[in-house]
Amino acid sequence: MRSLVASLPNKCIGCELCVFEAQRQLSKVGLEGSFIRIFREPEKNTGFLKFSIDLDPQVEKLDLEKIKSVCPNGVFDIIEEEMENGLTR
Amino acid sequence: MDLQGKKVLYVNLNKHTSETKTLPDLNQYIGGVGVGLKLLESAKQYDPIIFSIGPLNGFFPYASKTAIVINSEAVEDLYIGGTLSTRIRFSGLDAIVLLGKSETTTVLDINNEQVTFRDDFANYGLPGKRGVMKTTTNNLVLDDYFIAPGTLLIDKMRDKNIEGLVMTGTRTFDIKQKEKYEHLYYQILERKDELSIKQGLFPSCSGCPMGCEKSKYGDLGGNILTHSLVTCKFAERIYSNINTAFSCLNVLGYHYTHEDLENLPNLIQKMLRGFYD
Repeated sequence: MRSLVASLPNKCIGCELCVFEAQRQLSKVGLEGSFIRIFREPEKNTGFLKFSIDLDPQVEKLDLEKIKSVCPNGVFDIIEEEMENGLTR
Repeated sequence: MDLQGKKVLYVNLNKHTSETKTLPDLNQYIGGVGVGLKLLESAKQYDPIIFSIGPLNGFFPYASKTAIVINSEAVEDLYIGGTLSTRIRFSGLDAIVLLGKSETTTVLDINNEQVTFRDDFANYGLPGKRGVMKTTTNNLVLDDYFIAPGTLLIDKMRDKNIEGLVMTGTRTFDIKQKEKYEHLYYQILERKDELSIKQGLFPSCSGCPMGCEKSKYGDLGGNILTHSLVTCKFAERIYSNINTAFSCLNVLGYHYTHEDLENLPNLIQKMLRGFYD
């Protein structure tokens, strides 16, 4: 089973291209119902923003390679998970 | 998405009321500064602040700014990045017009077309789907990072007793020509070498992969077509090309002609002259 993981979240710049790619694959444009969501909060003392990435498990229905490759900073990885009796090990 | 006219949210600050109107006559002004100036012309007596996006915001890369048109000592247009343009797009609106002055200090919490006048920023908007603009001591700050250029907008917001604006958009749009749209989207995304800034790791505007240092401070003035499409000024080389702009509009279902785009600068300059005659 292939899973999308945000392995380098600190490299996220909040461009939301992954969100829009996920939505395009569902033939829509917008934020509502997206399998990827980006949250932002100010980082203390730096004046920068800290982003966090929320992945709905349903994202695995999508073309993960396209989502991974649209990110300008290589935030995502695709990992292979072994299944045993329908559960990941 | 309603392509028959521009959907405008009018907010009456005096009465704390709002209404949405669809205005077909605004289509010829494309969006952004064009639509903003026309709205300013028609509401000048109410000293409006106009937020206006373009038809490509939310749909194409580097179309990541919001035009703000105000009348100060002169007519001014300025542009800010962050998430505001996509949140206005996904609210289904093309423009927001703030009219008059609030008697008390207020935060405008706009959820699609619904406006709530709040006392503070507690429990506002929907995380991940909102853009937040706040007045601070020295600046007007969007999404805790992006800063509106100059002081005109923050002065105007303070005059009107607006402490901030929260914009949440929860609408989605179907793509009719999915294959063509996606092809064009990626074709434009891959043209990042044509942008006049360097890629970085700074917080980026929604829909832009560049993470550039300069987006933080917004823009003032510039190319009429790109500011009507409300694309980033650093992507001017891409979107000031009429064929590119036409293709993008066409794939979204707009019926603009090449001539409409070519004539836009004249149309806007004529309107601008009207402000000073």
